[in-house]
Amino acid sequence: MFGKKRQAVDNRTTQTPVSLDGVKKSLTNMNDAQIDEHETISGIKVNLIYIKSLVDNERLNEAIVKPLIHDRSISVSEAIISSIKEKVYTLDEAKEALLNGHILLNEAVINEWWAIPLQSPLSRSIESSETESILYGAKDSFSEQIDQNITLIRRRLPIMELKSESFTIGSLSKTTVVLLYIEGLTNPDFITIAKEGINNIDYDFFTDSSQVSALMEKGNNSVFPQFQQTDRPDVCARALGIGQLIILVNNTPFALIAPVTLFDLFQSPEDYINRWVVASFLRVIRYVSFFLSIVLIPLYVALTTFHFQMIPLQMLFVLTESRSKLPFTPFWEAFIMLIILEIIKEASLRMPTKAGQTLGVIGGIVIGQASVEAGFASKVLIVLVGIAAIASFLVPNYLLTKANTLIQFILLFLASQLGVIGIAMGLIGILSHLNSLTSLKQPYLAPLAPLYMKDWKDVFIRGPIKTAKERPEYLKPLKKWRTSRRN
Amino acid sequence: MRKGVRTSILAFTLICLLLTTSCGVRPENNLIEEIAPVIFWYVKKGENKNLKISTAVPPILKEKKQLFSLQVNLLKQGAKDFNLIYYREMKVGQLRMIFIDEQVAKKGIAKIVDSLLIDPDTSQRLFIVIVTGDFEGYLKKQMKDKENAEYYLYRMLKHYEDQNQGELTPINLHEYKKMLYTPYTDPYIPVFKADQQNFSYEGTAIFKKDTLVKTLTKMDDQVFQLVGTDNYLKYLAIPKLSVVLGRVHTAVDFNLNSSYSKLFIKVKMMGRLEDYQGENGMNDKNIEKMKSTIEAFMEERTKKLMKKMQHMHTDPFQIGTHTITPFGKTLTDKEWYKKWENMDIDVKYELQLGPLPRESK
Repeated sequence: MFGKKRQAVDNRTTQTPVSLDGVKKSLTNMNDAQIDEHETISGIKVNLIYIKSLVDNERLNEAIVKPLIHDRSISVSEAIISSIKEKVYTLDEAKEALLNGHILLNEAVINEWWAIPLQSPLSRSIESSETESILYGAKDSFSEQIDQNITLIRRRLPIMELKSESFTIGSLSKTTVVLLYIEGLTNPDFITIAKEGINNIDYDFFTDSSQVSALMEKGNNSVFPQFQQTDRPDVCARALGIGQLIILVNNTPFALIAPVTLFDLFQSPEDYINRWVVASFLRVIRYVSFFLSIVLIPLYVALTTFHFQMIPLQMLFVLTESRSKLPFTPFWEAFIMLIILEIIKEASLRMPTKAGQTLGVIGGIVIGQASVEAGFASKVLIVLVGIAAIASFLVPNYLLTKANTLIQFILLFLASQLGVIGIAMGLIGILSHLNSLTSLKQPYLAPLAPLYMKDWKDVFIRGPIKTAKERPEYLKPLKKWRTSRRN
Repeated sequence: MRKGVRTSILAFTLICLLLTTSCGVRPENNLIEEIAPVIFWYVKKGENKNLKISTAVPPILKEKKQLFSLQVNLLKQGAKDFNLIYYREMKVGQLRMIFIDEQVAKKGIAKIVDSLLIDPDTSQRLFIVIVTGDFEGYLKKQMKDKENAEYYLYRMLKHYEDQNQGELTPINLHEYKKMLYTPYTDPYIPVFKADQQNFSYEGTAIFKKDTLVKTLTKMDDQVFQLVGTDNYLKYLAIPKLSVVLGRVHTAVDFNLNSSYSKLFIKVKMMGRLEDYQGENGMNDKNIEKMKSTIEAFMEERTKKLMKKMQHMHTDPFQIGTHTITPFGKTLTDKEWYKKWENMDIDVKYELQLGPLPRESK
């Protein structure tokens, strides 16, 4: 049971045999630690050691204490009819078991130790995803309980080939990480790289899977996520099915999918529910929106500062009139409005839901309308900021949405210095940077660079399912065909 | 190769590619609230062989407009000197129209056109218009009464350009340049007449190279629109025959004989009867008769128009281009115009009338 975990811990600790004194010493100053002494009818003295806050007390009484006291067996191992009961030999094993919500059972006379898992089922129910909500399709989402999350995936992939390997990371948090993949389908190189990555993690505390991804990524300074985070089991199951692997981290509902490409981050689970023509249209809209959200405001600055020739004449009338009495240059005007927008966005995330309406009023009317009337910003810019902000939310991946804000600021600065050519240079820089990124050592811009034309059926558009008979080539799956007849 | 090096090489290559398009990395400061984009120039003859150029500033803001005029030797000198008398820098990046006085056009406008063509800030989608009469007076009056009067002129030209609607023949700088510098081709430009109250379309100015030689008006202009351009006519009014044809489209076929001594023009004209004020009833027989009459009338007018062009040694119909054949020897301009002047012309019209909504008895 603890075999995999030992890999990470045993090398650094000495193998002290477990003893009652040793355990008691470890539990000093832990007010939720409990050591109960019981005696069976047959007179065997038994110590039950556990941490109250981690175990299910009701089940403890029903499944262990009652049978133990009333049993007439001559040994404790016969008294406890638990299917999962493991012998414990060392003090470290004992400590780890206690902290994982096990009951330590010690037969005092012969000094035998057992660990019985009895974790408290402290978990929220399965709810619908808030970060990737969809109208149609499965509504369930992951919770903080890793076992429950594995169950949700296993129900979608009830095959023996779905393998799950467990690791423990974090010297303080002792976080369980589970690597999921389909044996015989997922490329073994990805599995090796992922295992190496997880084993090389050396850090004390983990609160979220994003920290795991940050320690496994190569391009740490990039604003682009190289692991896809999702709390949707259907997305994970689909990813496994095409040859990607999943990393589940305990105590967070967000799983990591790898290897991913930039284009994966533009895909929504609804793409596979809508009719293919509609889904393709929506996907194109997403790409256009992403582009608009990073380019629209810089373009406004470039055109109003340098390239008035490119503005349609009718628009020039509106713009000149709108900007004629402003105290700021287009750059500062846009910069201030974007900063204010970011403040509003951040505030809306932190504020309680009921205060959201107030924020809407303040953001929309007070800041939007009043700033125009007060002469701080032009009407046109307010409209563009609104369009850019809404467009940025069309990207299903929230981390990418956050990334494009920063890109927008970089392009804004370049636009204010060099105009449209500055924007072009900025975009070239972004493209070059994207080209250099990898996810589990796989190119981030695949199937565009390197080119895998066959995979384009499900990149910029979502082609008909009937034609998508092959798994993506860039994932180098061991089984190429999705139809049973061809394999 | 290291990741950083690969990124740098790609970025460097793409930026070099970008710069080979001759994009400048040091853009000019054109903060829109600090400049005055000029929408039009009006060029007329000044004193002592000078040009007088005028424009309205500020063209778009809600300020009192002023009409500035300057006597200059060179067109660009005007652009510079205007800046010295106005607090906003005038920019020609949004120049959309150039109005040239008829008197200037009669002397030749190649130099004006060339100076606009070599200016990288000036778009070639710039309408060229010939104006007769008091255009300055018209502008001054309009500026008092209306906001953005010049903008409405631009919209009018753009409207007729977009729809190929041959009420007018808007010509932009690019089209004019093409006609001016293409062998066997002479340009044409629309002509407007201005007075204190009105700015009205007069017809089409026909050029011999860059010099205005004739303004086609009324029926001649309509024939020119149908035969010489791709335009269609929303209405073709023939008062002499008491008839108006609507939505008139033509397919024109020019054919030269091998010795270039005779030109056959076959015009397939499609339209519908819009208005008829004649005395004959609208039965099949009369309609057939009317068609023949219209065809004969149009043949006569077209032939007359062609003769005028031959007399003026000008070829706005680009008939000379039909002499070009693969592997054949091309004629020089001089040789072509000599043949053009003496050419016999045979015109044949074939009118197809659309069905009438209801048959008159």
